[in-house]
Amino acid sequence: MNSCEYVDKIIDYRMGQLTEEQKRELELHLKSCTVCQREMIIELLVEDELAVELEPGFIENKTMARLPLRQAQDLRSFWLYAYRMVVLGMTAAIVCFVLLPFLLKFPLKPFPDLSRYTSGLGEFLSVLAPANPILVAIGFCYILLIASSVYSLVHSRH
Amino acid sequence: MDSKIDDIGCLIRSAQNGDEQAMTRLITIHKGLVFTIIMRMTNDYHTSEDLTQETFIKVFLNIKKVKSREHFRPWICTIARNIVRDYYRRTKSHATISFDQVKEFHGQWDQSTRRRVVIQDALAKLVERDRILLTLTYYQGLNLREVAEVMKMTESNVKVCIHRARKRLRRHLEGYENELM
Repeated sequence: MNSCEYVDKIIDYRMGQLTEEQKRELELHLKSCTVCQREMIIELLVEDELAVELEPGFIENKTMARLPLRQAQDLRSFWLYAYRMVVLGMTAAIVCFVLLPFLLKFPLKPFPDLSRYTSGLGEFLSVLAPANPILVAIGFCYILLIASSVYSLVHSRH
Repeated sequence: MDSKIDDIGCLIRSAQNGDEQAMTRLITIHKGLVFTIIMRMTNDYHTSEDLTQETFIKVFLNIKKVKSREHFRPWICTIARNIVRDYYRRTKSHATISFDQVKEFHGQWDQSTRRRVVIQDALAKLVERDRILLTLTYYQGLNLREVAEVMKMTESNVKVCIHRARKRLRRHLEGYENELM
């Protein structure tokens, strides 16, 4: 197939990788070499085939019509994201400053006052929660809220 | 060439300020590039139209991030490739094209149709990376730096891969010279 040493240079020629002198040399060679002429014709046919016909204005109109809707969705996603972040932040704060110190009996040594407050609140919750159905319901809803936030965060890529 | 680059720079700045005419012009300039890349990945005209729109929507939602006009074309190409990958991840199917599908698409088998079928079939036999490389360099005329940026490869590697892709394509076209000429 590639019986001419110039065949490999055709692609460099088409990619603009040859110097002016090399270009002139190849162009001169192309006039007399049927192998290279055939390769060049195939290159041009492939190029033609890679081109795809598009209806004029169709992509432009459709895109510009869909854009405002997507911008609005994007803005909604931003606020939804902010809301999820607040919920997760509150969760993290409660876990770090209330539940963990209480469960592990972990005194926050650098902040003795805060430590007293957090373990006090933890004990308060542990006493009240089982006894108070409203508090249990609120806790249950809160857990659902966290789960839905985590789920939507995981699936929020699109 | 410089004036074209400057035009695109102006259009990008206008689009960043919300100018819809500039956005439309940017779509007109780049839709061939985006559509061809997507078409070579999906082999489906209507899916490619949808994903091209999706690409431009994503481009304009993030256009404020564009700092340099030189990187704009490679950036669009990268978005287009990611959009197609996300699409396949969502639909969990990959495009395949068969000789029969091409035949069906092209209808009657006259000389030019036969030629198109042969080339389409040879292109379809290439791996996706080779098809994209050839599309970017042959049809869209991106320079080596831009192709390297889109493909996340070094320029020398791109050059080697294009040569290999072209040889593979030529091998697939072997024996069909009569249909092509």
